[in-house]
Amino acid sequence: MSFWFWNGVRRGIPSTRYPAVPETASGVTPGRPVATMFASAEEAARAAANCPVGAITARDREAVIDLETCIHCQRCRFGNPSTVHWANDFEWTRWPAAKKGFEPLPASFTRSLHIMVVDAGDCGACLHEIKQLNNPFYNIHRLGMFFTATPRTADVLLVVGPVSENMREPLLKTYDAMPQPKRVVAVGACAISGGVFGRTFASAGGVGMVLPVDLEIPGNPPPPLAILHGLLVVTSRKEVLTEGGTSLI
Amino acid sequence: MTSAPPSHSPLDVEGLTILLEERFRAGLSVLKEAPGLVIRVLDLSLLPVVSRFLFWEAGGSFGGLIVEERLREWTLQYLFLLQNIGWVDVVVRAPLYQKTIPSIVAELHAADWYEREAEDLFDIDFEGHPRLGDFILHDETWQEHIAPMRKAFDANALNFERKPNEKWRPKLVVEDPGSFAMPVGPVYEGGLGEPIHFLLETVGEDVIREVPRLFYNYRAVEKIAEGKAVCDVLLLAERFSAKSAFAHSLAFCQAIENAAGAEVPWRARRLRVVLAELERLRHHAGAIQGICQSTALSVSEAHAAIIEEQLLRASAAFTGHRYLFGLNTPGGLRRDFEETACRDLLRAIDSADSQLRILEERLRYSSSFLDRLEDVGAISPENARDLDLVGPVARASGVSRDLRKACPYATYSEYRFDAPCEQEGDGYARLRVLFAEARESARLVHQAVDSLEPGDSSIPVEATASTVGFGWTEAPIGAAMHGVRLDSEGRVERYRILTPSFRNWLGFHVAVEDFAFQDFPIILATFGLSATECDR
Amino acid sequence: MTALAGGALLVFFIVCAIALVLSTLVSDLAAIILIGWQGGICSILLMLAGAARLSAGADFYQPLWTIHGVGELTLRLDALSAVFLFAAGLVYLSCCLFAPGCMMHSRNSYPAKRYSVLHFALMISVVLILTAGDALTFLISWECMSILTYLLVNHGQERQADPSAGYIMLAMSEAGFLAVVIAFLIAAGGASGLSFSALRESAAHLSGQAEWGVFVLALFGFGVKCGLVPVNFWLPRCYTASPAIFVPVLAGVTLNLGFYGILRMNGDLVPLHGIGPGLFALITGSVTALVGILYATTETDLKTMLAHSSIENAGIIVAGIGAFFAFRSSAIAVPAAIALTAALYHTVNHSLYKTLLFEGAGEIESAVGTRDMDQMGGLIRALPGLSIVFLVGCLAIAAAPPFNGFVSEWLTLQTFLRSALLSAALVKVVFALCGAILALTAALAVTCFVRTYAMSFLGIRRGDWHFSVTGLSRRARASMILLAIACLFLGILPTFAIGVLDRAVEPLAGVSATTALVPPFFTATESNGQLPAAFLQDFHNLGAQTGAHLLAGRGLVLLLRGSEQNPVVFAMSPSYGVAAIALFLLVAYVVVGRLTRRRAAAGGEVWAGGIPRLLPEMTYTATGFSNPVRVVFQAIFRPNIVEDARETVAVHFRTAIHRKREEMHLVDRLFFHPIGAAFGGIARLLAGMHHGVLSGYVSYALVFLLVILFLYRLT
Repeated sequence: MSFWFWNGVRRGIPSTRYPAVPETASGVTPGRPVATMFASAEEAARAAANCPVGAITARDREAVIDLETCIHCQRCRFGNPSTVHWANDFEWTRWPAAKKGFEPLPASFTRSLHIMVVDAGDCGACLHEIKQLNNPFYNIHRLGMFFTATPRTADVLLVVGPVSENMREPLLKTYDAMPQPKRVVAVGACAISGGVFGRTFASAGGVGMVLPVDLEIPGNPPPPLAILHGLLVVTSRKEVLTEGGTSLI
Repeated sequence: MTSAPPSHSPLDVEGLTILLEERFRAGLSVLKEAPGLVIRVLDLSLLPVVSRFLFWEAGGSFGGLIVEERLREWTLQYLFLLQNIGWVDVVVRAPLYQKTIPSIVAELHAADWYEREAEDLFDIDFEGHPRLGDFILHDETWQEHIAPMRKAFDANALNFERKPNEKWRPKLVVEDPGSFAMPVGPVYEGGLGEPIHFLLETVGEDVIREVPRLFYNYRAVEKIAEGKAVCDVLLLAERFSAKSAFAHSLAFCQAIENAAGAEVPWRARRLRVVLAELERLRHHAGAIQGICQSTALSVSEAHAAIIEEQLLRASAAFTGHRYLFGLNTPGGLRRDFEETACRDLLRAIDSADSQLRILEERLRYSSSFLDRLEDVGAISPENARDLDLVGPVARASGVSRDLRKACPYATYSEYRFDAPCEQEGDGYARLRVLFAEARESARLVHQAVDSLEPGDSSIPVEATASTVGFGWTEAPIGAAMHGVRLDSEGRVERYRILTPSFRNWLGFHVAVEDFAFQDFPIILATFGLSATECDR
Repeated sequence: MTALAGGALLVFFIVCAIALVLSTLVSDLAAIILIGWQGGICSILLMLAGAARLSAGADFYQPLWTIHGVGELTLRLDALSAVFLFAAGLVYLSCCLFAPGCMMHSRNSYPAKRYSVLHFALMISVVLILTAGDALTFLISWECMSILTYLLVNHGQERQADPSAGYIMLAMSEAGFLAVVIAFLIAAGGASGLSFSALRESAAHLSGQAEWGVFVLALFGFGVKCGLVPVNFWLPRCYTASPAIFVPVLAGVTLNLGFYGILRMNGDLVPLHGIGPGLFALITGSVTALVGILYATTETDLKTMLAHSSIENAGIIVAGIGAFFAFRSSAIAVPAAIALTAALYHTVNHSLYKTLLFEGAGEIESAVGTRDMDQMGGLIRALPGLSIVFLVGCLAIAAAPPFNGFVSEWLTLQTFLRSALLSAALVKVVFALCGAILALTAALAVTCFVRTYAMSFLGIRRGDWHFSVTGLSRRARASMILLAIACLFLGILPTFAIGVLDRAVEPLAGVSATTALVPPFFTATESNGQLPAAFLQDFHNLGAQTGAHLLAGRGLVLLLRGSEQNPVVFAMSPSYGVAAIALFLLVAYVVVGRLTRRRAAAGGEVWAGGIPRLLPEMTYTATGFSNPVRVVFQAIFRPNIVEDARETVAVHFRTAIHRKREEMHLVDRLFFHPIGAAFGGIARLLAGMHHGVLSGYVSYALVFLLVILFLYRLT
């Protein structure tokens, strides 16, 4: 007979204390490329040419990153002479370029949020990272957030994947079944812009093509802490990091 | 068909050639082409008989069907893997105007879904197949005869006329007066389950018939790869199924290396083994967590989740990405790893391994947990062979097939490891196989790291024009094969992905039928399959 | 009052006879009108007669005529008959409102004239049974009633799927009648005549075995009509096969005749000594109830399900009657009175709600065209009025407050708990087991009727039917509303009902049920012998005087007093309960309305996981809902599942799986098939005697002669 209760108690509590305390353990995030100053414009141009999806633009000697397009292939990080610097953070949430800002949910949702997830063509990484939010390390229950089984009781919809054609109708039905107030968060590069799949006959090219998106979380996949940051933004416990009136690039 | 053991002792190439020429005389022509054999079927009506011979009598395994439209004709390649011989390619060529090919499904049940896929994507009619249509392109979303994989279809043409079938209803099989079909999905489990639509036909408790409807995640990876450069298609190979990302990107790179005839440096090969086994270990920890979650044994689920997260963090610390994206490149690995990093990784793997052993021991003594797994969702060895299942699911039913041993790649032939096998085929057997394979993976990583020698981690490989390459790996779910044809500019002309989930989903309904529907989520979890890997 | 009762009764006979004669003369349409109006008048006269007798004190006695050498045919209307007469009157009133509506709707398939004649004849025979004063009248009218019900059941024979159902009913009725006749003969063994008073006198001299003989024969002889195991073999088949206009009468009137017979014979004429017969009736009743509800819960045909449910209710009533016999023979009067009150109350209740449900089923069948619950669904949108009335019926039969079923089932279960007063341990064990079986039955009844209502009325339409009419006429609907209101009144004013039933209970049980069960909280202001001042004051403080100014009577609380240590054995008040429920609902409505003032409710389609459309075949069927019961009680059902699969190519590609479930009813399996097989065996054996060989027949004569000589030698 296994004494599960005793085993559980003995294992201890590995939960992170984020957002109260910043999380810096190794491996919690893949990091992201940041704007880098090069010695010459040619090197910057070479760095820009390295990116298979065109997330790096060379402005004179500076290589500027569009995080929403970045697919974390790390080609700009290893194995070529013009490497770009990478930062080890994860608070990447921002609102879509077409929008002016983000209105969080009303105050009563701050410590009681119900999350509905729809996998609309995802490769499995973003969905798996969202599932990790329930594991003892991240444990979103301590923050009052729960995954619901039905959209009828959901407040925020997390969509992953570029919205494959077969999932377009189910996604729309899920959105329609959610009561007001609701927010839609596109998680991952595929959900924001279609990722490597793009806009084809079989994929819509991002959730924004199908639903009104309120927040975007870039990454491929964004680590669980980035998604957690996004959920905290939805409940107005955290802010989108902005610089000069626009969300951080 | 009978499931008698193969009537010939393992044949070699000459023996097989002689037998084939004896039996089928003028209907075939046999060529010895590396890595195995190519059998060109000239008389189409012989196709089912040849398939039966290769699968049942010669004891081969069916790898898949590759359909190509090139040079004004169809080329259908039926892949078989035979012991001692390797890959046997049965090739059928037919002019484009001939849209009917005899179906081999009566002899080879494992070919069922391949033919349905070809019918949906290429609009080829397989004569004699009882159930064509409404497979990848769901009838309520797409109209008939689109054939997106045809050359004439432009993947980026977005505004073609859509006329889906508004009145579509699922076809129910059970005709009991009080029966009904319980729908599950595509959005179920709060959306945390991959989108699959199950129809459980029942009269109340027991599931009499279960029909899974997949391909909600169909993103037409094979179509959008056409015309792209190899380095771009590598991105696709990696990202269509993230939980086996490294295995699939490895198979793709091996296909390109095979096409170019390149020799990958030894250090890169050994590091590839390290990373592939790391992925397998992490995948199996996740599968075990899924099984514990389905039986609602929360503490064990939490323990398994801790192990998985630790492995994810170790992957990120070692390679920079939690799911091992961006590592493989044709010719080796994109980066090298230092000794200290490898030692840190070994420590993390040892910790995970010992925690998994403790977890297994604890689960063995939880009778309420075992009650829900033993004798539940059983697949008999006959069914597993008949439907040609692969991976841990097949090994739990006594079908011991592992590409790492049958056709070793990278440096697997150097190492000592087992491919654990069980006989019962129920949920508990699959769980035991997962634990055993996790132990073997840890063992393999140790052997691989210990055998590392200084050297190059990659060589540059040019995408050679007009070549064909074929690569394979044993992904965590089973055997995965990638085939690539490069055109005259070195771009990808045809990309074919044969995934293990595609093969195993075919057998899922056998496990579910005649069990109560409360057992359904548990059986689903013990299979540990990926819908997105199947859908591509 | 007695004169009023008698007068009403005689006028009833006259009017009914006139109606009978008129029916033979007029056209079909006029016959339908005749049923409606004349039938209505007759029913009201019956109710009047019953009510008048129940408020007066004396019996009404009327000799009819004397048959030389046999005896005198008399009528006697006493309190027990009055109760059943009133119930029959109310049910007939409803049926006479319902039948014309139904017949107008499908006029061409019922020959109304014949129905009318038989209907009035049956009415006369039923009232004669209930008011018979001697055995002859009783038996003659019983036989007439059997034959008339057979003729009425076979009425729409060309439309029936089961033509032998009526014949089986007739055969069983005759067998029951035979048993009853023998019972009467045994009871009248040493009597001076055949009148009931003579039988009562001679009953005191019956030996123990004779008493048992009378009891068992009467129980199963009358049990045929009310549906006791094992003689209820005919009931489900016959109820299903009867035309929809007649089944309410079958379930509401003729079923009660069985109970009347048992009570008259064993309660009044031949009182039982010894606790054995009471326990026997108790066990039979409980087993009947369980078997009935099990088959009801798993049956998908609406009418058959209601028939099985009638068997269940009959079992409950007979169990109550058995408890009454047991307590009375042990000379514990108060529980005996309570048990009989419960049984009579349940009889009246059952007539009301079962008639209501059968009428509802008839309307559903005429609107939808099918009786299969697996094919229905969504009727609440098509027949909204009927759905409310049917809901009342379902709640009443499932014993949900505030309807009448709750009171009578509660009282029945409470009397079982009073078995603590009996002395023998075995008796208490039997009572406890039967109580447990009845509790299980009550739970299964709730399941059964939740299933019935939900699968027929709620959800998505499952079959291909279209609505041919939007329900029957207003008059038919009025008949059901009448019964629903009666159910509600009997549920919220039980103390009045018990006061009325007490007239029948007191002569048989010896004590007054009202005195035992209804403390006079309204009328008593100071202590009397039964209610000490402190007790009275406590209950007045609790509000037991609420409503004293609005309503007459003793009070609204049902309460049984116990000893010093246990002053209140049980207590309940549905009247106050209903008021409390109404108040609570009102408060909840207001509060929730205020709290959610600023919320807007948005409607949308059902969430089904994202599939394009939730199809009817994806929703639960009635069979699926009751599958757990089928699985748990598999040992009783012993089904035989025949599976047949159509496949192409291989097992993997099955295109159709056809499953059929074949079951033989428990009673058939355990009783009739073995008996039938035994008789068949004997008959085959005897048939072997007819071999046609002449020498064989000659040898029979020789053998017979030898046997005679041998016997002669012996004696």
